[in-house]
Amino acid sequence: MNKRVVITGLGVISSIGIGKDAFWESLLQGRSGISPVTAFDTTNHFTHNGGEAKLFKAEQFIPEERLKFMNRATQMAVASSKLATEDATLTPDYLSSLTVGVSHGTTLGAAQAIESVDSLLISKQEVGKELLYQMPTQTAPAAIAREFKCSGPHFMVSTACAAGNYAIAYAYDLITLNRADIMIVGASDGISRIEYTGFNQFSAVAPEKCQPFDKNRRGMMLAEGAGMLVLESMENAVKRKAPIYAEIAGYGLSCDAHHMTNASVEGITECMRKAMREAGITPEDVDYISAHGTGTIANDRAECAAIKKVFGPLYKTIPISSIKSMLGHTMGAASALEAIVCALALKHDVIPPTINFETPDPECDIDCVPNEARKHTVNIALNNSYAFGGNNASLVLKKFIS
Amino acid sequence: MSKGIVITGIGVLSPVATGRDAYWDALFEGRTGFRPVSLFDTSSFRVNIAGEITDFDPLPLLGKKGLRDLDRSTRLICSAAKLAIDDSGIEITDDNTHTMGVSIGTTFGSLHSISQFDRSGLIEGPRAVNPSHFPNTVINSPASQVSIRFKIKGFNTTISTGFCASLDAVSYAADFIRLNRADVVLAGGVEELCEETFLLFHNLGYLSGMDGAEPCCCPFDARRNGIILSEGAAILVLEDEEHALNRGAKPLARVLGYGNAFDPSADSSFAHAGNGLKSAIAHSLKDASLNPENIDYICACSNSSKGLDRMETNIVKEVFGTRALATPMSSIKSMIGESFSAAGSLSLAAAVGAIRREQIPPTTNYQEQDPECLLDYVPNAARQKRLQNVLVTSADPYGQNSAVVLQRYA
Repeated sequence: MNKRVVITGLGVISSIGIGKDAFWESLLQGRSGISPVTAFDTTNHFTHNGGEAKLFKAEQFIPEERLKFMNRATQMAVASSKLATEDATLTPDYLSSLTVGVSHGTTLGAAQAIESVDSLLISKQEVGKELLYQMPTQTAPAAIAREFKCSGPHFMVSTACAAGNYAIAYAYDLITLNRADIMIVGASDGISRIEYTGFNQFSAVAPEKCQPFDKNRRGMMLAEGAGMLVLESMENAVKRKAPIYAEIAGYGLSCDAHHMTNASVEGITECMRKAMREAGITPEDVDYISAHGTGTIANDRAECAAIKKVFGPLYKTIPISSIKSMLGHTMGAASALEAIVCALALKHDVIPPTINFETPDPECDIDCVPNEARKHTVNIALNNSYAFGGNNASLVLKKFIS
Repeated sequence: MSKGIVITGIGVLSPVATGRDAYWDALFEGRTGFRPVSLFDTSSFRVNIAGEITDFDPLPLLGKKGLRDLDRSTRLICSAAKLAIDDSGIEITDDNTHTMGVSIGTTFGSLHSISQFDRSGLIEGPRAVNPSHFPNTVINSPASQVSIRFKIKGFNTTISTGFCASLDAVSYAADFIRLNRADVVLAGGVEELCEETFLLFHNLGYLSGMDGAEPCCCPFDARRNGIILSEGAAILVLEDEEHALNRGAKPLARVLGYGNAFDPSADSSFAHAGNGLKSAIAHSLKDASLNPENIDYICACSNSSKGLDRMETNIVKEVFGTRALATPMSSIKSMIGESFSAAGSLSLAAAVGAIRREQIPPTTNYQEQDPECLLDYVPNAARQKRLQNVLVTSADPYGQNSAVVLQRYA
């Protein structure tokens, strides 16, 4: 009999709040975290806004002498994992008595370090060791594992904008396979000049605000953040009387095998179907979908078309929102933060809105929970994420009933 | 009862040879693949030797179509995939594609593309950057291009646990087969040689020859003073045993067990005790239901750096006890160099060859005994031996450790 896996802790670093309580409060209020980018010069870019986590002060979480060896994604990962383990009421002593692993995702984990090195190379300056130690992608999970002395299974996945879901999914497998009691899981990405330039050149960035599913939507909003969750075997969580947010019911992965950047309706349809099949649920069972919903014309159109295929006539009755309307797209961190949203929606029976919604789009005629949070019983939530390379992942979470 | 997992095909590109038979020939002959770097200007570095695949030509394997915008890592891994698919004889169809996956370990595979893209924006301005180069800046680009080219739709995962990435990619693939998430997975790893990765290893002092002497890759040898950086790609076709037999495939070897473990005390120069590596080996043996005395050969991760070779030697002594001296352990990195996230998959490809050809690849360039490293390293010449079980290891300076046990397929 496979072990059941529950979520017992949440940690958030975001543009709209540090910690899950501030984050949730902002989401329910429909606050936007979008502001002019300050991390790098955008004078010559087409757009200038982004979703920087300006409230994040790394030194409040990490001693100065260690900070200098950490890129921004690693700093945010360590800070949010501290918040998540505290939220799960886990002490370092207790953690060291169990098999604890780390599973982490990112798009371009070391982006800021790479960018700093690039600037130095162009100006023909020496590249120092502190910066070079920040370069490997695996520094984020390594720093988390060092922080909590985790000697269990360790995993770093770089499946771009779906990385958070991939990291959570494999951690779920590792607990069901009995290789770990607890997994500290999630994803992080710092705002990146490389991504900002790339998406600008793709004409995929909105000038002012992110408007998923709106007829006049003009693109995504580049952002940063970290979301970490504590995953735990149900028996361990129950034994230690931990707070339980939700249970993981299953997941599905698929690959479009079609195009590096254009989403395929077939691929994401297959992904949702696999996740629901594994979770043993039917379309009628789904109470909430946390959409990938980036706010680009193509993504939202493809996702809505896939949802119509999977849910048939039910598609208009299921609330489907995109928190990217508030946060922007936090890259690899996005689906981890959205999994946190699903866990909180299951816990509180409230759904955060899609803000900035003004004009319905006949191609996206879903119920996107426009502009206002909504009280709604959520027993089962589906968390969608899609990435460059056609790497798709959908996660099914359900209300925990012992 | 756990499912049987077998390897039914191998594709390799390495500094010593391309294709699995040529690769095995080279390793058993003890050929090395080190030469002056031609891919980028090394005049600002103190070292100019690396394990570059100088004769790499993707055209015969991949054809011209769709090749133009792919970076070197992507070309390497797609070539390895083509060789592996052909070797396994598997046909990818609309009926089986959803039960097939891709699991690739790479950490710096896209670093050159990322850095070039960024520098182009800095020099020419962000509006002058070529958008068609942007998709190469995601780390999952090489793996995704494998799926796109060969139409593999089940799943596609990129794993970036540094030196351990490709062993971890193989473990992940094997888990997916065990959990019925897939029947067949192309699992492996890739790293390309580039200026940016070279700079990183150079400036952090990992490279042999930093003192001005001729670089020398001599694992376990008293003279060792650093790695020779290299590149490569390998893919193993992992398959559910029953699935393989049903389609008439001939398994090359069995994946019997695997494990990984993090070492929170890890030190970037491998001065730590190595408890993580010890746990990873123990997990892999337990998963394989074997004892240390059942292991006939260790395909080591030691790479000619002071710390790692000593640490791995000590851990093998601890795990194998009195059997340590009787268990041959060699490092193929003496011939192909340190290819970082590709290394584990190249080691697995070598280990399958050792089982198939009943030969152990040597640790070449071995001359001076180090009193701290006194095991049987199979010095300088391949050795005939029938092998039942082989252990393959990886250790990352940031703390990850991984091990895989392969078994002869009866």
